[in-house]
Amino acid sequence: MTKSMRKLVAAAAGLGTAVFLAGCATNAPQDTWQPKGSNAQKIDDLQKPVFAIAGIIGVIVIAVVTYVIFRYRDRGQPIPEQTHGKPALEIGMTILPALILTGVGVFTFRTVFDLAKTSDTEMIINVTGQQWWWEYDYPVQEEFGITEPIISSGQLVMPAGTKVLLRETSRDVIHSYWIPALNGKRDAVPGRVHTLRLDADKPGIYAGQCTEFCGLSHANMRMEAVALSKEDFAAWVQNQLKPAVTPAEGSLAKEGEAVFLNQCVRCHQVNGLLKADGTPAIAAPDENVYSGAAPNLTHLMSRNTFAGAAWDLLKKECRADVWEASPEEFGKKYLAGVDEECLNYIDLRRWLRNAPEMKPMYADPAKLELTNGLYRGMPNLGLTEDDIDKLVAYLVTLK
Amino acid sequence: MFTPGSKYFLGLAGFSTAFMIAYIVVVDQWDGGATALAAIACAAGLLAGLSLFNRDGEVKVGDTSAAANAAPLGASLWPLIATVGIVLLAVGLITHEIVFLLGLVAMAAAFIEWVVQSWSESASSDVAFNNEARGRVLHPLEFPVLAAVGLGVIIVSFSRIMLTLSRNAGAITFIVVSSAVLFVGAVFALKPNMKKTLVAGICTVGAVGIVAGGIAAASSGQRDELVEAKEEGHYSHKDCGPEKSKYFDKNAEKTVSMRSNPIATVELVDGKLQARELGVEGYTQRITVPRANSSTVIFRNKSNEERRLVLFMGTEEVQEGVTEDILTCTQMIGPDSEQALTFKLNKSSYGQEKPFAFTVPGLEGQSIEAFVP
Repeated sequence: MTKSMRKLVAAAAGLGTAVFLAGCATNAPQDTWQPKGSNAQKIDDLQKPVFAIAGIIGVIVIAVVTYVIFRYRDRGQPIPEQTHGKPALEIGMTILPALILTGVGVFTFRTVFDLAKTSDTEMIINVTGQQWWWEYDYPVQEEFGITEPIISSGQLVMPAGTKVLLRETSRDVIHSYWIPALNGKRDAVPGRVHTLRLDADKPGIYAGQCTEFCGLSHANMRMEAVALSKEDFAAWVQNQLKPAVTPAEGSLAKEGEAVFLNQCVRCHQVNGLLKADGTPAIAAPDENVYSGAAPNLTHLMSRNTFAGAAWDLLKKECRADVWEASPEEFGKKYLAGVDEECLNYIDLRRWLRNAPEMKPMYADPAKLELTNGLYRGMPNLGLTEDDIDKLVAYLVTLK
Repeated sequence: MFTPGSKYFLGLAGFSTAFMIAYIVVVDQWDGGATALAAIACAAGLLAGLSLFNRDGEVKVGDTSAAANAAPLGASLWPLIATVGIVLLAVGLITHEIVFLLGLVAMAAAFIEWVVQSWSESASSDVAFNNEARGRVLHPLEFPVLAAVGLGVIIVSFSRIMLTLSRNAGAITFIVVSSAVLFVGAVFALKPNMKKTLVAGICTVGAVGIVAGGIAAASSGQRDELVEAKEEGHYSHKDCGPEKSKYFDKNAEKTVSMRSNPIATVELVDGKLQARELGVEGYTQRITVPRANSSTVIFRNKSNEERRLVLFMGTEEVQEGVTEDILTCTQMIGPDSEQALTFKLNKSSYGQEKPFAFTVPGLEGQSIEAFVP
């Protein structure tokens, strides 16, 4: 073996080892090999044997090709006698893969139909994708205490051990919803409603990612599914049904409310927020945002993330405390929400200071001709540090 | 090593790359200009490779007899077509994108044909061989493209004729034309020795007749019935009153795209209005409608009368102090019929004085709320 050949083999071996060891990562919240719900388990039950079959066949093919390359390499020998066709071998080599694929196909179809089943659905959540965040709305479902529709974003909160049906659509371009631990992916297409079933075995947080390239900040379009015990979910519902609490007069938060009314309410709705004249403050995102919607912030601090679940509202240690909690303790820690002690002030202030700098968005006021002056994402509002102090104080009250 | 042609294209690729880098640094990396320069660099690089590979289409050095024996070359149309393409590109930039696209097509066709023709004319001293070489390269491209264009022109022309003629005249014309095609085709099949010029003449007369008819039909416009149907709309109705549309497309809502995505079905049964949401068991009096998103609801009329479904979408101020309801509705449909209603509600239900709701005119006390989160 020449020196350059040895280097090449060493490099290939190093790369292969790195790739192999990458599979040993423990902190991999989007690992497709760790099902946490019955739908994901069905996929896992299919993909493991298929992967094994494909792997065995792949190894055999590579071994045979490698053997043939070395055994019959050109060493100056005369060209052997050429034969044309071996019908038995050719037919056999056609039938064998066909049989393998048929076997795989039967189990694949069965799994596909199992995953499409919706007749035993216990709960409905409408999911709407837009550049670059997910909105969740919960229609009235008395059996879960949802007496009025609930709207949220970023984190999909659902009861554990419950068959939840997501009805997905999109307001702008095609997105794709994927929580690997709970099910496969399903496209959210404008003008269409696609269904996807989720259920989680135990309480916990399960991470996901938009898997259909949807524009500039596709990589920042995250989502998390939060599974709570039925009791904790009922408590979450009760909290979501309440309107926002008005801050005390003379507080910094009250001044922040005024800033919110002056700036943010153009796009963001806070249920229960009143204008100075006592009438409800109604957001008009359809007049300012291309997708026609912006996250409802009524209970912002009841979720752990913001900006399309791309950033944490919790400080690192508080976040770890929630993510690493046991299923028994998880609900209590999640329902505690975000308080002043645990708030990730740094990222939230950065976001309020200049959102497009953190998350690339088509939010340059000079380049809005294509969308008739409408923003795709949150623009830089030009807030002063004083305004940001007030706004943060107000946002912390939105639990 | 480098031919003159490859030097030119390599230079172009190099300069484009340099300008692209400068553009990204100086102007804006997200701007389309950088993309355009990158595309030019890639294209020029590809052309440089082609030039190197075929040595600019020159005959081998030393084959001096080829040039000496070469027959004089005829005139080429491609420079003219390329010029037309450039003009169309320029005109298209300030008029319409279709003109621009035509310019691109003309440029692409001229480029490919010109390059291959130049190459084939230098392939050997034998003109017949050169023509055959050109044909081998270009015929697999030319024949399907010309056939597709010719067929497209015939189809568009015939469709214009059918849209202009009345229903009965259209049916008769279709029968006559298709019978004529069948008859002529049968004659061609039964008489294989027929002169090629006669076959070509018959086909040309037929094609010219259809194209001329199509031009005449397009200039006179579609028949009144179709114009009125278009004004009425396929799905929704404008006034939502007791009046009926005359020509609306009764089958429009039966398309797969329309049938596969309704958010809910609203039924009128025994004088009661009830809704069923996709994926939800049982009936409801309130459906959730995604905000600022086109949504479709199927209306099923299971009553004994003609009915339509009306959606109240809020109010608008038409003049100072005067507001009007914003309504959209299905066509008036008969008993046991159904129709789709597509709409978009941009505002949330929060703070609305009167809820968004579906009603059926003439049916008192029945409504389905459309709740927008």
